[in-house]
Amino acid sequence: MKKKVLTVDDSRTIRNMLLVTLNNAGFETIQAEDGVEGLEVLEGCNPDVIVTDINMPRLDGFGFIEGVRRNEKYRAVPILVLTTESDAEKKNRARQAGATGWIVKPFDPAKLIDAIERVTA
Amino acid sequence: MAAKKAGPASVKLAAVLDLNEASNLHGKLVSMRGSDIVIDASGVERVGVQCAQVLVAGVKAWEDDKKSFLVEKASDAFQKTMQLIGINHENLVAKEI
Amino acid sequence: MDMNEIKEIFFQECEEQLAELESGLLKLNDGDRDPETVNAVFRAVHSIKGGAGAFGLDDLVSFAHVFETTLDCVRSNKLEPTQDVLKVMLKSADVLADLVSASRDGSGVDESRSRGLVKELEALAHGEMPSSSAHEAPKPAAKAAPAPKAAPAPAPAAKAETPKPTDDSGFQPIPFSFDGFGEDEEPAIEGSVYEVSFKPRRELYSKGNEAALLLRDLSRLGEMSINCDTDALPALDKMDPEASYFSWKISIRTTKSEDDIRAVFEFAEWDCDLEVKLAEEASSNEELPMVPVPFDLSILDDSSASDEDEKAVQSSADETVAAAVSAAETATSVTKAASRASEKKESAAAAAAAAAQNNAAAAAAAAGQTIRVDLDRVDRLINLVGELVINQAMLSQSVIENDATGTSAVNMGLEELQQLTREIQDSVMAIRAQPVKPVFQRMSRIVREVADMVGKSIRLVTEGENTEVDKTVIDKLAEPLTHMIRNAVDHGIETPEKREAAGKNPEGTIKLTAKHRSGRILIELQDDGAGINRERVRQKAVDNDIIAADANLSDDEIDNLIFMAGFSTADKISDISGRGVGMDVVKRSIQALGGRISISSRPGHGSTFTMSLPLTLAVLDGMVVTVAGQTLVVPLTAIVETLQPEASAIHSFGANQRLISIRNSFCPLVDVGRVLNYRSTQANPVEGVALLVESEGGGQRALMVDAIQGQRQVVIKSLEANYTHVPGIAAATILGDGRVALILDVDAVVAASRGQSMKPEMSLAATG
Repeated sequence: MKKKVLTVDDSRTIRNMLLVTLNNAGFETIQAEDGVEGLEVLEGCNPDVIVTDINMPRLDGFGFIEGVRRNEKYRAVPILVLTTESDAEKKNRARQAGATGWIVKPFDPAKLIDAIERVTA
Repeated sequence: MAAKKAGPASVKLAAVLDLNEASNLHGKLVSMRGSDIVIDASGVERVGVQCAQVLVAGVKAWEDDKKSFLVEKASDAFQKTMQLIGINHENLVAKEI
Repeated sequence: MDMNEIKEIFFQECEEQLAELESGLLKLNDGDRDPETVNAVFRAVHSIKGGAGAFGLDDLVSFAHVFETTLDCVRSNKLEPTQDVLKVMLKSADVLADLVSASRDGSGVDESRSRGLVKELEALAHGEMPSSSAHEAPKPAAKAAPAPKAAPAPAPAAKAETPKPTDDSGFQPIPFSFDGFGEDEEPAIEGSVYEVSFKPRRELYSKGNEAALLLRDLSRLGEMSINCDTDALPALDKMDPEASYFSWKISIRTTKSEDDIRAVFEFAEWDCDLEVKLAEEASSNEELPMVPVPFDLSILDDSSASDEDEKAVQSSADETVAAAVSAAETATSVTKAASRASEKKESAAAAAAAAAQNNAAAAAAAAGQTIRVDLDRVDRLINLVGELVINQAMLSQSVIENDATGTSAVNMGLEELQQLTREIQDSVMAIRAQPVKPVFQRMSRIVREVADMVGKSIRLVTEGENTEVDKTVIDKLAEPLTHMIRNAVDHGIETPEKREAAGKNPEGTIKLTAKHRSGRILIELQDDGAGINRERVRQKAVDNDIIAADANLSDDEIDNLIFMAGFSTADKISDISGRGVGMDVVKRSIQALGGRISISSRPGHGSTFTMSLPLTLAVLDGMVVTVAGQTLVVPLTAIVETLQPEASAIHSFGANQRLISIRNSFCPLVDVGRVLNYRSTQANPVEGVALLVESEGGGQRALMVDAIQGQRQVVIKSLEANYTHVPGIAAATILGDGRVALILDVDAVVAASRGQSMKPEMSLAATG
């Protein structure tokens, strides 16, 4: 069974990179463009892991993570946050919001896959 | 209950024993106290520590009740995860004494 | 999709982000303090940085990073976005745009400029006010301007603290790649033995981490044995199934370092007690019953499972679910669990309701849903619809020819077809319609740069940026507009000193407006400068042999002389606008778009350029007329009314000028056939039809044509693309009967008729 990854990012560039990287690594990928859409898509897609950006319109990554953790069905899904090294403060906030781990940008396919492997069975 | 004499009750474990399943499993075990029990672990794909905690607590409770608690047909994933987290097979068996 | 395609997407996205960035900064500049505006600005830069990092565009990343850091200070209210601060930010946005272009096509960047801005941005982030020395020009504003928006100079608006490069929580990002193989300094081949003590807390699990997975990753580092401490586990009925009770003592023999071991717990280290130390000779752990953990844990990576396994797992999973459901149904004492579940449901419902509310609000805020379509496809569709329109017209024509009464069912159907075709065309054109905003935004950068260069202080105000017009028009609008803006900044607006001397605000204002008017788009460029110096313009025109020294011209006509070829009022050629390109070029490019341009000026108060452009370059509503046996199309938008002149209304004026009196006012009569050199003598007006047209500049003219054939929508086919530019003719079209007809350029014809008193240069023959 392919592992299913839900990605949430408002940047078309990053979305495409995630898609290519994850598909090449044999994952099934579902994408959303912001936190609001992420929560909508979550219902019914039953992901094994979620990868989300922080800075997004409508509902940012923190709000999205909190939303997932409040969701009875999906609260246990591992969530990885896309962040930058300089964003230590944001990383802490993401952790407090319930993030499982993070991927430090710049985007690196190997790091992404590695992090996903770490938090999924 | 009528079923009491009809042999041990049986519980089939869910495929994914994660955080969400821990409460379900706990509820199920609590409701089945007092009778012998057979846990069917054949369909388990993933085991989280919290479900392992519930199972180990179950074993202890059944021991206290002097009823048998048996995990059978353990899947490879079940066995290996238990081994990985240091839970012996013996930890998961309560025998009628 | 490969990386190159993604890179192309990245650059497209950069364009959007840059536009977003600039419009946000301009909003802030106008006093907008909505946090979402600041957020959007921040996101734009952040997003560019993120993508640039992925492509290794280091220059772009490092500049974006500095910019982002300063924006973050604004976002967290550590830095007040005063106008001085925003000036630096707007310039930084320009540099960022340059860096994007440089990354895209390898063009050069003004490195000293970007270095300078990096310093300014860093200074802002460190709480220093922007140095005003760089902006000497607007300085007198403090005296003259009644209420300068900029914060009082001595007040340090920035209360920024130095952004901390490292996190105060002490968190250090540890790269978790496993590629550290071989860099171990441990000489011992067997490695060392570490003792790891690991006690997870409840939060570790609730954040989606899993102790079993951490132990799995740890076991991959070497030879591991483990002891699970279950002593903390309460009795079954006392336990909280979601709490953490187990803890572990692990002994691991590995060639990896302690850091590598800790790296396994990178995501979890706040949510557990973790100790890692080298095992002492006589390890205390040896008393604990340790269970060896086999390295072969491949079953835990289901990515390595074969397809057959998957199927088996899948079907057994289905069974399991079925079993679980039936178990739940037959369970007798599930009250506790049930009430728990319903509680959860309620809270979930509440959360869902809140989310839905959020949703609605957010959806209202967000722009309508969009899809991206390749422009080629839209163009193809538009072309096809154009062909459809022609085809439909031809069909109508032939039906009419065979059915003079016009009552047959075919005719009725055709009318419907015509209506539908029309609607399809409108809808298709709407796909390509875009707001003029991006073009306007580019202008604000030009104003900034040119104003900086010439030491003027100028504010660009835009209005109606959301006015939509066909993309083909937009694309061609930028160039003439740029030229006009440069002109306005360089020549239109005076220096701050001169303005002050004239009692004006030292800061000049240029206003750029777009609006729809009667099926066209009207773009106005207004400056509050000195206005046209008519004396000088007139003199220059005489010097350059454009007008006769004794020509009697109205103010309006003098002003419009600046559009004549070979005309430039700048005394010295400047770097900015005097590139040998005059307003005549601007006028020609506007005309090539089927547009008109005119100027009105008030000495001392400024000038207003007015451009009127068609909304699309694809179709046109026209009146089909006959002139000297030729079929011409006159754009309907230009025609005010049509009339049949009576002999008594025609008055001669001068040698070959004639006027027609319409409701007690006189209007010059223009013989189209004569202007286009279709005939050598003037036609008798009484035998033809007069089309009253409004030309740019406001004046009305009566165009004489021989007969009107009818009104029709025509598809515009560019003459320039297929032939060459012909004065007096805007474009060509194909009529319903398959004949080619020329579309009249009304303004050019009017200008040519006026030009008879200047220089008769308009003729088909002359350019042929």
